[in-house]
Amino acid sequence: MTEMGHRMGEDGRGRGHRMDDLFVLVVAPEPLAATIAEETARGLIGIADVACAADVVEAAALVTAHPERVVPLVLITAFAESPESTDARIALLDAQAVLSRASVLLLTDRALHDDLSLSVDRDRLHAVMTSPWSPGILAWHARAQTVRWLSSHRPADPRTRALVAADGRPVTQPESDLLRLLELDTHEVTTQLLAGIERVLGPRPRLLLPAGTRLIHEGIDVDAVLVVLRGRVALDHASAAGDLRLHHDSTGSVVGLLSLAQQQRAFFTARATTEVEVVHLSFEQLDRALAVEASLGAAMAAVSIRALAKRLRRADQLQVEKTQLNHALERERRQLSEALHQLEQARLDLVEQARYATLGEMAAGIAHELNNPVAAMLRATTYVGEDLERVLASHPQGRLASEIFAAERDRAPRSTREERAARRRLEAALGDVGLAQRLFDAGIEDPDRARTLAADPPSLDLVEAVAGIGSAVRNLELASRRMCELVTSLRAYARPKGEPVAGIDLHAGLEDTLRLMAHRLRDVEIERNYGDLPRIRCHPGELEQLWTNLLVNACDALGEGADGRGRIALITDAPDAAHVRVQIRDNGRGIDPQVLPRVFEPRFTTKQGAVRYGLGLGLAIARRIVDAHGGKIELNSRPGCTRVTVTLPVAGPPDEEDIET
Amino acid sequence: MKLALLILEDERPVREALRRDLASFARHVRIEEAEDVPTALEVIEEIDTAGDRLALVMVDHRLPGTSGVDFLIGLADDDRTAAARKVLVTGQADQEDTIRAINEAGLDRYVAKPWQADALCDMVRDQLTAFVVAAGVDPLPHLAVLDAERALSIVRERGDL
Repeated sequence: MTEMGHRMGEDGRGRGHRMDDLFVLVVAPEPLAATIAEETARGLIGIADVACAADVVEAAALVTAHPERVVPLVLITAFAESPESTDARIALLDAQAVLSRASVLLLTDRALHDDLSLSVDRDRLHAVMTSPWSPGILAWHARAQTVRWLSSHRPADPRTRALVAADGRPVTQPESDLLRLLELDTHEVTTQLLAGIERVLGPRPRLLLPAGTRLIHEGIDVDAVLVVLRGRVALDHASAAGDLRLHHDSTGSVVGLLSLAQQQRAFFTARATTEVEVVHLSFEQLDRALAVEASLGAAMAAVSIRALAKRLRRADQLQVEKTQLNHALERERRQLSEALHQLEQARLDLVEQARYATLGEMAAGIAHELNNPVAAMLRATTYVGEDLERVLASHPQGRLASEIFAAERDRAPRSTREERAARRRLEAALGDVGLAQRLFDAGIEDPDRARTLAADPPSLDLVEAVAGIGSAVRNLELASRRMCELVTSLRAYARPKGEPVAGIDLHAGLEDTLRLMAHRLRDVEIERNYGDLPRIRCHPGELEQLWTNLLVNACDALGEGADGRGRIALITDAPDAAHVRVQIRDNGRGIDPQVLPRVFEPRFTTKQGAVRYGLGLGLAIARRIVDAHGGKIELNSRPGCTRVTVTLPVAGPPDEEDIET
Repeated sequence: MKLALLILEDERPVREALRRDLASFARHVRIEEAEDVPTALEVIEEIDTAGDRLALVMVDHRLPGTSGVDFLIGLADDDRTAAARKVLVTGQADQEDTIRAINEAGLDRYVAKPWQADALCDMVRDQLTAFVVAAGVDPLPHLAVLDAERALSIVRERGDL
């Protein structure tokens, strides 16, 4: 390991700046390392010292042993005989933090490297030199790299300030005209270009043009350029969507140059956006100036590259903006499509609702039509029953006939199980299955009476016939009553409105309904929890229909619930001075959550082969009644607790509210 | 041994109407009624215990807590009742249920409500005969409720009866 070079003078440290020792590290086998180090040191006088390591392992050991050293540059050789790949060796160097920040200069004697992809990919290769090298070139390279490193890593270091100008460019100018000109700002290059042109053509007049002047015209051949010395120019392109401003900040200083270079019609219209000061140069003038003054070529190239670079950057920017815009558009398109989907869904819901409403209206219409025949049928059934009683009474065996008829007509329902058991008893008593069945069907269960009748065939015939009439009348009455109920509930859909009545006691209405429904509520425990309610203005008949529907609903829910005794709770209170509230709770099986949002829609369900009006229509009517009263109905349900809450205004329905469908 | 006919129907007026329309069979066939599936199963048990044969089941499709089709499918899986003729008597069963009844329960007939009494009796006679023929039951004691010609043709075909 060798150390060479010169240390910084004491004055450098004395100024109180942090002046770390800078070391350029040479990684090469001896004796080559010494040669490289010596030449490198010559380029780094006053900047950095040079240290050598025979290989990457030694290099790592060296920086570990001297943690205070800062390494701006590593020179590493990659000769053909190296067993390891150059990538691997550079990666090993990079394992040391201080080296991973250094620039890497590769010195190679190979014509081709296929072992540098990682280093290039990770931006760890800063310069490649061929060995052997021309004398002095290594010192020059090492210095340039070190200065570059200092300007980007140590801008505040006094050594950096001595080497690098305030704008970050190295104090030493590039040697080539082109790169030198490119380092200048646009205005300076333009000034130099114009100066060169004027040396050939003599002084050129300045043209002063106001804002809005078109300097070149889209679609027209360009045969002159305008050198812009002051002011701003925009480049616009006419498109189907109107004039597009493509460049403004990115307009070059020689307008028309690119079109001229391509011998094409102008793609843009160049328009002054401020007052401009320009110099007009025809194609021939420019040609002559360039031919006479060779150095003008570099200035033209620099101006062109500048303009191109600006426009290219602008184009890149536009590309990025376009991509972002496309993303935004795509996002909006998705949102629109989602909104469209929701609208379509809403439309379908509306159609569905309209369909239900139509069905409901149709049902109400049919119910209207059926009302009279059904009422007539119910009455006729009653008359037939009454008249039959009189006819039977006139029969020679009038007492027997009337008794059997009445018994059969009024026979209470029994389960088929009970009936079977009763029949078995009769069979056992009579010992004749066929006879027992006949007598049983005629309503005779008492064995003694059965025996008497069995011995009297004419009476048995009469009893059988009269029992048949009795059960037929009963079934007729039952059937017509059911039809009547159905028609009534359907008619409620289109019930005409009367005038609301004031001073109604809501509890009285509830109690009336409970009384009317007593037959259905026989097995249900009713719990009342009535609060103090003001008398309200309402349609009392409508409200009874409302309570009926809600109670029927609660009953139905209990009916199919298997757990224990059914319970319905009625809770009333006044949430505020202007409203009364009725809650009907049941402990039934609850309403299917999927159905819950639609329970207030009028509809028909076909379930297990039966058309049912119950749930849908009953609640739909309830909703209609509550709405017509200007109130609110809510339903919450979970298994074991369904709660319908009706809130009504004490003042009653809004005046012009129309309850009709 | 008697042939038995089971009516499974939850509405009393409908049961009574069926029973009355089938009154002419009552003298020779054991007619039983059930309003729900548990009762129907009890009845089947009783018929079996008494040594009678369940020949025909007439089931309403719509029943409390279950469907007639499910009940029929259950019967098809039971040795005692698999041979019984199965009839759906219903106001409305949708196509899917009906297909299930045919494919899984071997449904024999579908009677739509309201029915005609004559047609109902013909159907019952026809089904009882089909049962007797298929189950190899001696038709002679039951001739009154059978299609006599069809029933007797098996007697002629089979020497052992």
